[in-house]
Amino acid sequence: MSEVDIEWPWQYSFPPFFTLQPNPETRSKQVTAWKSLILTYCQKTKTYLIDVREATQFALFNNSTINRKLEHNVIISILSELQKTGNATPIDKGKNRWEIYWHTLEEWSSLIYEYISNRGMQNTVVTLYELVQGEDSTNEEFNGMQQDVLIKVLRALERERKCEVILDDDIQGVKFFLTVSILCV
Amino acid sequence: MRRRTGLGAIQKQKLEQEKYKDKGNEIQEGQFEQMTKQLEIFKVNLEEFASKHKNEIRKNPEFRRQFQEMCASIGVDPLSSGKGFWSVLGIGDFYYELAVQIVEVCLATNDKNGGLIGLDELRTRLINARGQSKQHQEISKDDLMRAAQKLKIFGSGFNYMVQSVPGELSMDHSAILQQAEKNQGFISVCYLRRELNWETERSQKALDHMVNQGLSWVDLQNPQEKLYYFPSLFTACVNSSN
Repeated sequence: MSEVDIEWPWQYSFPPFFTLQPNPETRSKQVTAWKSLILTYCQKTKTYLIDVREATQFALFNNSTINRKLEHNVIISILSELQKTGNATPIDKGKNRWEIYWHTLEEWSSLIYEYISNRGMQNTVVTLYELVQGEDSTNEEFNGMQQDVLIKVLRALERERKCEVILDDDIQGVKFFLTVSILCV
Repeated sequence: MRRRTGLGAIQKQKLEQEKYKDKGNEIQEGQFEQMTKQLEIFKVNLEEFASKHKNEIRKNPEFRRQFQEMCASIGVDPLSSGKGFWSVLGIGDFYYELAVQIVEVCLATNDKNGGLIGLDELRTRLINARGQSKQHQEISKDDLMRAAQKLKIFGSGFNYMVQSVPGELSMDHSAILQQAEKNQGFISVCYLRRELNWETERSQKALDHMVNQGLSWVDLQNPQEKLYYFPSLFTACVNSSN
């Protein structure tokens, strides 16, 4: 994992932050701080997937300066907390691999739909590659989004009938619909 | 000398004693009256002095401290009442205002320090929160102590920290905080044995209490032994803006 320019909160250099606290009140403060740190870190580093078994490779869970690591099962319990707010999902049964959504899937889908609407790209088919790797979207936050996550985001939009996802062998794309809001005057 | 005897003598003696008593009372009353007069004059003078130097008192922390000391040495507490004639001095207001601001800072930082804050950090935060004018900036630690002592909800017994959560902290806890402050904000059972010659049980009991109070965090990743950290004494926490 490459080192990133991230502004660590004070807790990151506080050694007991890496030990799950016995006092419930303190622990709740600790977990809250971890949740926000994980999301900030993933946003800054554009990390969509965390494999807990390789967690020590992330500076996030391993502060080598103070020689403190966050334990495997503690990470899982914090990620499970993030799951409750729609900010993470385990993608295997052993809960080792986790997708992280610093924006929830719903937030992502409205971001993408807004981008499409602003460019008047409804009713055309866009390939998934174009959407997140294309030159047009380099300044967008969803640029570089992992395909698995992207498909989940688009599926959410699809449920709102705002697009149709096409996943054929020869084309992997999406067609956005023009949604007309009818105002009753 | 021939001793006088008889009823007459006894009565005479009694009469003399009564006269002495009367004279005594008279003198006492005279003294009391004089004292009252003096005190009255003194009060007037002090009041005059205070209102004359009111601005100085509000502005200058050193002057404020000296005034407080002067009042204390003559058994007067200008903060004690908002009603009495001392209220006209407006000294109390200064401290009440400060006390309210202290509470605000304590509440705002409670989340990270568990309700314990060092006077230095408290002072820095207060100065940031108060107005930019010089008068608002000049707050001494002495002022903070006086204001905090006015708030009965605060624990007492510390001369360098303010505790804003309910619960008693004993001398042992105070000693632990002092040691932790010397040691970059953390402490261990062995450290306390070495420095204070405490048995394990004594240290353990006090440390467990502080963990239960949310004042201390435990660190299990030190290879030698369990460490106890105090966010309120940990530099990075004290200096962090949130």
